[in-house]
Amino acid sequence: MAVTTPEALRTQTAAVLDKVGFLRRFLRARIWHGAEWYITVLGGAILVTVAGVTVLAPVLAPHDPNEFIGAQFTVPGGGRQALLARNGEVPIAGDADLAGVVIGVQRNRNGANLAKRLGAEGVRFEDQQALVGGLKAGEVDLILIDESVGQELAAADSQLELVATGLGLRFVLGTDNLGRDITSRLIWGARTVLGVALSSALLASSFGIPLGLLSGFVAGRLDKVLSLTMDSIYSFPGFLLAIAMATMLGPGVINVAIAISVIYIPTFFRVVRGQVLSIKEQLYVEAARSLGARATDILIRYIFPNVIPSVVVVFSLNIADAILTEAGLSFIGLGLPPDVPDWGYDLSKGHQFLIAGYWWMITFPGVLISLVAAGFSLLGEGLSEMLNPRLSET
Amino acid sequence: MNSPSGAANGTLVEVRGLTKWFPVQTGLLDRLLAGRTDYVHAVDGVSFEIRRGEVFGLAGESGSGKTTVGRLVIHLEKPTEGTVHFDGVDLASLSSEDLRRLRRRMQVIFQDPMASLNPRMSIRASIEHPVRIHFPDDREGHEGMVREILERVGLTPPEIFLDKYPHQLSGGQRQRVVIARALVTRPELVLADEPIAMADVSVRALLLDLMIQLKELLSLTYLFITHDLATARYICDRIGIMYLGKLCEIGDLREVYAHPLHPYTQALMAAVPVPDPHGRRTQPMPVGEIPNAINPPSGCRFHPRCPVARLDRCSVEEPELRELRPGHRVACHFAEDFL
Amino acid sequence: MSPVTPGELLLQVCNLNVSYKTRTGPVSAVSDVSLDIYRGEILGLVGESGCGKSTLGRALMRMLPRSARIEGQILFHGREVLGFDDRQLRELRGRGISMIFQDPMTSLNPVQRIGDHLTEAVQVHESDGGKADLRQRIGTLVERLGIMRQRLSDYPHQLSGGMRQRVMIGLGVVLSPDLIIADEATTSLDVIVAAKLLDQLREIREEFGVTIILITHNIAQVAELADRVAVMYAGRIAEVGSVYDVFDGPQHPYTQGLLRSVPSIKLEDREELYKMPGEPPNLLSPPAGCRFHPRCPEAMSICSRIAPGLLPTMPGRLVNCWLYQEHSEKDGPAARTTARGAA
Repeated sequence: MAVTTPEALRTQTAAVLDKVGFLRRFLRARIWHGAEWYITVLGGAILVTVAGVTVLAPVLAPHDPNEFIGAQFTVPGGGRQALLARNGEVPIAGDADLAGVVIGVQRNRNGANLAKRLGAEGVRFEDQQALVGGLKAGEVDLILIDESVGQELAAADSQLELVATGLGLRFVLGTDNLGRDITSRLIWGARTVLGVALSSALLASSFGIPLGLLSGFVAGRLDKVLSLTMDSIYSFPGFLLAIAMATMLGPGVINVAIAISVIYIPTFFRVVRGQVLSIKEQLYVEAARSLGARATDILIRYIFPNVIPSVVVVFSLNIADAILTEAGLSFIGLGLPPDVPDWGYDLSKGHQFLIAGYWWMITFPGVLISLVAAGFSLLGEGLSEMLNPRLSET
Repeated sequence: MNSPSGAANGTLVEVRGLTKWFPVQTGLLDRLLAGRTDYVHAVDGVSFEIRRGEVFGLAGESGSGKTTVGRLVIHLEKPTEGTVHFDGVDLASLSSEDLRRLRRRMQVIFQDPMASLNPRMSIRASIEHPVRIHFPDDREGHEGMVREILERVGLTPPEIFLDKYPHQLSGGQRQRVVIARALVTRPELVLADEPIAMADVSVRALLLDLMIQLKELLSLTYLFITHDLATARYICDRIGIMYLGKLCEIGDLREVYAHPLHPYTQALMAAVPVPDPHGRRTQPMPVGEIPNAINPPSGCRFHPRCPVARLDRCSVEEPELRELRPGHRVACHFAEDFL
Repeated sequence: MSPVTPGELLLQVCNLNVSYKTRTGPVSAVSDVSLDIYRGEILGLVGESGCGKSTLGRALMRMLPRSARIEGQILFHGREVLGFDDRQLRELRGRGISMIFQDPMTSLNPVQRIGDHLTEAVQVHESDGGKADLRQRIGTLVERLGIMRQRLSDYPHQLSGGMRQRVMIGLGVVLSPDLIIADEATTSLDVIVAAKLLDQLREIREEFGVTIILITHNIAQVAELADRVAVMYAGRIAEVGSVYDVFDGPQHPYTQGLLRSVPSIKLEDREELYKMPGEPPNLLSPPAGCRFHPRCPEAMSICSRIAPGLLPTMPGRLVNCWLYQEHSEKDGPAARTTARGAA
């Protein structure tokens, strides 16, 4: 059959490709699709990584995301806990055994936990001044303070000496204001975010796709009513709608998923309906009618399979958007209860403490939200290009 | 030719006064301003019959309405007026369920094989589908029927083709699959709408031959729609020439080709190039072009272009089909001049 | 049978190869094609879809997509077209060679009036010249083609299909090119309109003395209009000769088979059509040797190994087939010099 018409070219190359295995097709696609291939693969790689992290959360996360185990505002890298000792006494080295040592901690749960973990007894002070005073007064053997403060104090007071480098705990990305390890929060938060995004996409598609199929296929008054409804929802600013729904439904992971899914039902509906309308006109659908096929048969075996490629794309983009919306909802404090680790929540807290200079609280959640949303977007856009190629030069 | 329809006297399809008007799509504003809807007169008062076992050709250029007539005959469209009787049954009188069941007996071979096969269904699935629809109880027999028809259309051994998808086949093979799908339910009437127009030139003869063989083998009747009078000559027994929604001439093929009596038929036949440089056309072509079907010319629709039109009659009165030679009818006031 | 009147040699194609890049490798769309085109003639370039005729036509004007690789020589008035820079190419297109396309609806700009189409075409090449003069010139031209002068202010959608095709011809002719390539110009037209178009091409050849290459898959049209015919198969030229010689005595088995398989409307012509076995080949992996050999009733062992060349059997008559050529490895009947008759 002819080669130089684009249709025939696709036919022949497709015929050859079917003979080779999936991996080779995968690699060959790189040559064919060029930039889109890289985009899609990049998006896919990001997602596979994130998905892996999500699944392996209990294994990967170094700490409990809700436990206040770190020092308040630990810088990225874990930072070193500085223990101040009285001048010249009790040298502490590495992971020393501190049983029997009395440590002064600043007034928050964080310090008390740490003292217990070190096997030492803890005494609480109101604030930093009192803490230092306590050390000097001999009420405690060591005090526990953040490294950034430690330098200043040591410089100001010659009597005080910094000891105990790297005392056990390392926080790769730092801790938040309550001493919770950010790395762990991010890893566990991935579950929340992806879970909500995925469920909202699934919910939205399970309503939007069938409605779109029906509307496009049956047409007539049903189509008009549905289209009008969907267009109204669609024209409403998505985020505002999500806020309204979240407020209505109240807090809870499921409720947030539902709230977000409502925004995306119209998108699925429109895309599917548009596809159905165009596929309906195809000759093979008419051929099916002339064979005597029933309407449901045509819808399920002829129209639906040809609609799926575009649905996959929308699904992917939907998840990307849902991630952002979910983060947005948590940012303004709606939806998720506080004990559920969530990136959006971290973002909001990080925003509060940004002025204090604790940049790591907002940066890492923000980067991750962008990365994962971008990953889904890239995957979706790349797939869209590959499945529905523009009429570019061969 | 007003014989009563029915299986007894060998008429399979009887078409009487078939008319189809399509409303022209206009915007709301146009409708408000114009105050009326325009219609495309795709088919206007066409009557003919198709006899069992024959290949009846319907030829014409674009706008002639031949494709629409085909679709009306198998009821893929509903006529605006007129009737279609299949084996004595008025198609419009059937319930949608009865009509669906009747489809087993009338099938279609479309022009574009790539477009008329579902790209996501395997060959087996595509051909089996009509079998499953019309013979739902005989599940074990389905595979056998599919294999048998694949062999009959020359796609042997069937095993290689069953699990393939349309894009994996060549153009000629695809058209054979389309033919197989149309014939697997053993229909009586096959509507072939330009079935070889998209095939390669060197492959067309094979496909035509296949269609003729299958007609003999399976006792088929074809309604063969084409714009190519040269092709029609090889397969059609009788032929009807259409122009702008009306039948101008109808009769036995050899008769019409040897003695074309309608000026349009004559022009159409002269226009077809002959693969012989010694036979170059000397006859001039009719002036003008096929007019718009929304407002067809008054009287005889061909009169503005007809070299022998006499305006006093031809622009006023629509000619009726009259039998001027045995089995040969013409719709022209002055066809006698060509006898 | 009148031999072709050898006018001046206008265009010479020598060993042209055109290949496209695809996902699975290069496709050889035109393979080792050599062709001479003489001033004032109508050459029919005929073959099935995928034979490379359109590719060849576009290659002459360097209008191929960027993924195409061209090798060989195209000499237009003795100058090498493949070496032209952009300015020279612009000169060539429209002035030297112009093309009439298949589908006039999509080839014309829907938001531009017909008159503007034509004036723009001229102004690209001739920046001087008064507007009034130009309008006059174009008005005369369209009237010669059968379009009323008033229609120049219409938009393409207001014209009928045949009129649009005539506008396309006008665009092709307005700069008085030396060569017009009609690429499947009749394929989407009705039979009568197509016949009129062929008449029109004949007329513009008489009136303007322009050379025409008629690219088509319809061999009957070539018989109707052309002086010489070149038959292409699977990217190669099978046979070239005057239209009478080729139709009365086709020499290449493909041409013979093709002529016997094409339906003819004349009742007195043959009843049986020759059913050529097989299908046109996949150009991703064309047959070795002669590309027609899998379908050829006269194939010999050499045909599947070594490709023949396009060589003359008579003056002005070229055939690409081992039946007419000698080779040391050939073990079949000796080359024949007399034409084989069609069945």
